Amino acid sequence: MKPDHDSNTAETFPPSMSATLADIYSFLALLMRYPEESFFDDEFLDTLEDLLKSLDLQPYQERIAYWRSSVADQLLDAQVEYTRLFINGAPHVIAPPYGSVYLEGEQSLQGKSTETTRDFYRQYGFDIVNKAEPADHISLELEFLSCLYRQEEITAAEKFLHTFFRPWFEPFYQQLMPELRHPLYEVSMQLISFFVQEDQ
Amino acid sequence: MAINLTRRNFLKTASIAAAGIPLSKVVARAETGIAKAPLIPPGSFKDTKTVTGGICEMCFWRCQLVGKVRGDRLVKLEGNPKSIDNGQNLCARGNSGIKLVYDPDRLKYPMKNIGKRGAPKWQKISWDEALNICADKLQATIDKYGPKGIAVWYHGASAHYPNAYFDYLGVANKYEPAFYQCRGQTAMAMMQTLGFVPNEDVDMPNSKAMLLVGCHIGENIHLSHVKNFLKGLENGSKVVVVDPRFSAAAAKAHIWVQIKPGTDTAFLLGLMNYMFDKGIYNKTFAKKYCLGLKRLKKHVAEWTVEKTAAECDIPAKQIVEVAELLAKNAPNVSIHPGRHAAWYGNDFQRVRANACLTAILGAMDCPGGIVRIKRMSSGHVHWPEVDHEEDPEEMALAEVVEKYPFRPPGTPPELMRDTMISGKPYPIKSLVVWGTNSIKTMPRQERTEKALANMDFIMVTDVTPTDITMWADILLPEASYLERYDHVEKGTQWNQGDKPQQFLSARMPLIDPMFERKDPVWIINELAKRMGHGKDIPVRNQEEYVNHLLKETGLTIAKLRKLDGIYIQPGESPYLKKGEEPKFDTDSGKIELYSEAMEDEDFPPLPTYTKTTEPPKGFARMIYGRSPVHTFNRTANNAWLAREIPENPLWINDESAKKMGLKDGDRVFLENQDGKKSVSSTVVKTTPGIRKDCLFIAHGFGTFNPAMTVGYHKGIDDNSLNTKINREGETGISGMRINFVRIVKDGKVIDIPA
Repeated sequence: MKPDHDSNTAETFPPSMSATLADIYSFLALLMRYPEESFFDDEFLDTLEDLLKSLDLQPYQERIAYWRSSVADQLLDAQVEYTRLFINGAPHVIAPPYGSVYLEGEQSLQGKSTETTRDFYRQYGFDIVNKAEPADHISLELEFLSCLYRQEEITAAEKFLHTFFRPWFEPFYQQLMPELRHPLYEVSMQLISFFVQEDQ
Repeated sequence: MAINLTRRNFLKTASIAAAGIPLSKVVARAETGIAKAPLIPPGSFKDTKTVTGGICEMCFWRCQLVGKVRGDRLVKLEGNPKSIDNGQNLCARGNSGIKLVYDPDRLKYPMKNIGKRGAPKWQKISWDEALNICADKLQATIDKYGPKGIAVWYHGASAHYPNAYFDYLGVANKYEPAFYQCRGQTAMAMMQTLGFVPNEDVDMPNSKAMLLVGCHIGENIHLSHVKNFLKGLENGSKVVVVDPRFSAAAAKAHIWVQIKPGTDTAFLLGLMNYMFDKGIYNKTFAKKYCLGLKRLKKHVAEWTVEKTAAECDIPAKQIVEVAELLAKNAPNVSIHPGRHAAWYGNDFQRVRANACLTAILGAMDCPGGIVRIKRMSSGHVHWPEVDHEEDPEEMALAEVVEKYPFRPPGTPPELMRDTMISGKPYPIKSLVVWGTNSIKTMPRQERTEKALANMDFIMVTDVTPTDITMWADILLPEASYLERYDHVEKGTQWNQGDKPQQFLSARMPLIDPMFERKDPVWIINELAKRMGHGKDIPVRNQEEYVNHLLKETGLTIAKLRKLDGIYIQPGESPYLKKGEEPKFDTDSGKIELYSEAMEDEDFPPLPTYTKTTEPPKGFARMIYGRSPVHTFNRTANNAWLAREIPENPLWINDESAKKMGLKDGDRVFLENQDGKKSVSSTVVKTTPGIRKDCLFIAHGFGTFNPAMTVGYHKGIDDNSLNTKINREGETGISGMRINFVRIVKDGKVIDIPA
């Protein structure tokens, strides 16, 4: 196992960047949440396009723009795709977005790793709001990362990525990949993959 | 396309641009999933606590259990040490409840099907939207067709409260597979003959001999029942197992009668005739308490040992041996009433023959016999009585068509299904399915699918995405048996020969339900409010529901909790005291060997054997049963259980297999007499332990719904091959063992040698 990232990592993250990363992770967390009317609207999708542009990812931005122009009810369209990929698909759910499913021998929710994930949150003074959802949902893990960056807990964020997030994100992404046809989720997964990658 | 930018570079350059985007503004509009909380230092002591009050529902035997809970997480299930029923034991399924609770495939949120029935496309919706749709659609059916336009298919304890509501609505037709594909005749024919339903209360530990006709104890693992069977063996009871197959019980038998399938009634009549003939039946009991003894004697006289042996394809001396053994040990013999009885469509008569044999041996209310176990009683929750324009009882289909007078509670499912397709005698246009997978329970699946296609609305509530959920318009996720309050379990010490005790336990949750799963009381009350029945709601929540059930006992949930989940009090022996007379709640007050009620309805008044269809050339009869670690299809997706027994091996007689060129482990499909081929395949198990005229597979495999990722297409769905049924006139229950199969291997059809 690799040693925890040292304090050098933190030095490369000035406070302003840390705040930006906090914003970005919380936005990524929303992309991985079930699309609801409360946040999933034109402004949300405009923001996504802006983010893609800022990253010089025009082809992705254009795909999102094309999808938006070709689908009348984007919320419904996103909800149905989210349900198919992550909740109860037909024929079957593609990739349950919970860490324990990938980290533990038998596919299971609320495993030992879910418990240690939540313990990690609590060690840093955070906890899940809705106790009915497992702590290792990808959206919650991204939101937790956002909280850590917001508090400039850079080392902790790196440790969380290294110890908790990446070990299951990779098999999760692999499982999802062949079914990633929807522009919104293909782009979302690319973005997340980029922001959680280990620096070379 | 991939992102060709390292994060480090992003942070150096692009982050500046990204910083200008109002990410935080859009994020602020969504509720947070992570919030500040008190700091918990690493390595804090985390206790594993024991939570009591669980009642198992991996099957329906309802063992009492406790859960080991660590934080929010259920980590282990064990038998409740206080239990006088299952004790500290749980079976494989009971242990594996954890894998049901945390199965990633489980239903989590209400769903709307925006695709087609049978080929669904799901949208997660809110409970509010889901229940509004259910209320609107059910109300629309009532407005157009009356409450009889709604049908209910249900199973299990979670459906009790919903059923009470559907009764209040005036629903006329409800169907439960527990009766119509399982125990219906066992209950009704026993009732008709003895005036009580013995269930499986057979005092096996204290018997001197036992007779099991097609009972698969040991494959059908009901814990205290298996304990009873084994205790009987330990105590020296001699076991007779009548089965075409060397079942787990047959492996323990002193006499294994390898009977020809479908001839069990003839065997029972033959036994009785021999006992009458030799005068070795329990004359005192039979003369005193039975009605129609002389007529029964005359009726069975044709069943000589030779004739019975020929009909059943068994040695004549076995009949003599069994009859002598049972007679010699009467009345302390366990004539097991059986459980699943929907075999051939002539099963009411078989169970009647079983009851008559029990009666002429006097094998009841005594050590070893069938016993009337004295349990505590508890209450019911009803919705207020309402006057309906049409009396639901009169509108029940069986009443309208004036058929099936000895049917168990509810409407025969195929009768209901016919109506759903034809609209006659009246339209049924909405269907509520609660906790039952009717695709796997009802034979003739294509008829079920046709009926489902014909509905205006289908609402399904379940725990896992079973096959039937694919046909739902609205699919509701229910809390599992480990996450809800509902059932009150009553019983006694498992061995009736021990000091009499009674216990009572109520199902209490060991953990909170996750996601948006809800208990049935909440679901029904919310539905009722939306249908304008809020003022009539009898209990506000599930705790109140259970407290209401407990009311007459003086117990409450709180009191039961203090008692570690189980209340125990002194009981009463089920054996008759010296001089005490048995009572029979029949029309005549006696055991009705001869039934006038049956005669009045134009059915044979004495138990009568009818031949069943023979297999066509090249085919063998498909017989089915249980897998010891599964409860039909309910456990098909359980990772632990599926690892132990992933599919249902096909038993083939070894000599036949040799002729067919089949060996153990070959993968095969089945094709039935109507050309229906199994969708999935299974492995061959060759054995001398099955007759040549039949093949055996365990029921409940071959899941169709790919959403059950563990069980999908594992093994063969026997029910998909049940394209022929024989609906019995007495009960409306369909016999299913009249389907015949042959093997398909590598695309080639292989006939079964004669």
